[in-house]
Amino acid sequence: MRIIVKLDVKPPYVVKPVHFEGLRKVGSPQKLAKKYYEDGADELFYIDIVASLYKREILYDEIEDTANQLFIPFAVGGGVKSIEDFSKLFHLGADKVVINTYAVQENPDIINKAAEIFGNQAVVINIEAKRWENWWECYTDCGRIQSGKDVLDWVKEVEERGAGEILLQSVDHDGRQRGFDIELSKKVVEAVDIPVVVSSGAGSMKDVLDVALEAKPSGIAIASLLHYNKSTISDIKEHLKENGVKVSK
Amino acid sequence: MTTTVGLINYGIAGNIHSIKKAIEKAGGKVQIVEKESDFKRVDKIVIPGVGSFKDAMEELHKDGLVDSIKKEISAKPTLGICLGMQILSTLGYEYGKTKGLEIIEAEVKPIIVDAKVPHMGFNSLDVKHHNSLLYGLEDEQFYFMHSYEMVNYTDIIALTNYSGHTFVSAIQKENLYGVQFHPEKSREAGIQLFQNFINL
Repeated sequence: MRIIVKLDVKPPYVVKPVHFEGLRKVGSPQKLAKKYYEDGADELFYIDIVASLYKREILYDEIEDTANQLFIPFAVGGGVKSIEDFSKLFHLGADKVVINTYAVQENPDIINKAAEIFGNQAVVINIEAKRWENWWECYTDCGRIQSGKDVLDWVKEVEERGAGEILLQSVDHDGRQRGFDIELSKKVVEAVDIPVVVSSGAGSMKDVLDVALEAKPSGIAIASLLHYNKSTISDIKEHLKENGVKVSK
Repeated sequence: MTTTVGLINYGIAGNIHSIKKAIEKAGGKVQIVEKESDFKRVDKIVIPGVGSFKDAMEELHKDGLVDSIKKEISAKPTLGICLGMQILSTLGYEYGKTKGLEIIEAEVKPIIVDAKVPHMGFNSLDVKHHNSLLYGLEDEQFYFMHSYEMVNYTDIIALTNYSGHTFVSAIQKENLYGVQFHPEKSREAGIQLFQNFINL
């Protein structure tokens, strides 16, 4: 099980939204990245959460400065619209590029093209899932815009198109620290053969363990639980290990 | 004198940033290699690789680097990382069949395993032949991120097990080394590997 830290960034700050809204500043991406690297994070996800919404490019200097601190995988997303954007981010030190809005709303073919050029391991699809009565809908632009796409259909489609990983976020659970959407996590993990990183909702070590045991994702992305010093990465890993979940050293 | 490591930069897919940083942290100097004449300044060579086998070989041909890499590898200690190891093979099966650099007798094929692919995350090594590159790192974990694996029977120095499936995670043929994992993404253990490489 990979323990991943997710930095939601509204430059120049890491922020933590609740339900993707009501932003609170929690620190600088550079400092937090370094801290979480030293604390034992397996990976870091850096998402510029307003780039797509504000229709601007992702801010490159912030990313390069953050990447410079790390000797672990670094995934970057937010406002990615072209193969040139992918290329630029890799050159700045990203190992994986995360894409949502452009692929969902405008042109899913970018997934095929990026996978062919950069390898599928480098293409991560961000899902912002919103629960309805008996289905989940893909949202974009930081949980604001509806797409009409069913999450379970879309994850299969992106896998088919060559995506290498899913970052699964829940618009309903994000930032609330009341546990993951386990039913959604389980359904997505079972729907595809590519790794799924589940996110949104960790409020305690028990929440992390529950989703690990019940949904069996490949990774768990954590934000608030760590940002507010409620737990540390080593505590979380230890807790998972004691309960039979394999984690890195 | 400080060892100068030539880091081959090819194509739009290359992420050489983090490898450069890791080599420098390990005490080496980095010379980016983009054309044949750049090789004159380097003592050792690192072949990085992000992308597909097919794309990587096309880019190397386009940059006119294939023959010079082959020549240089025979004279200077070399480390291939991930796809940079895979393209040392005879043949790759990613997006059709592509001829590799044909230095290691091997084929690169999709991972077939009863688990999620790509194989992503930290994993351990089972060192089969003790060697200078992995010296002192036998019990460490390294970061893997791949959907293809090198199938080789003759140059294996380490194997790794992913969910019951064993694959080649490091090779050596004289002064040529290859690792399937990413030392530049593997914390202090990775920096130590670069130090071992610099000290070869």
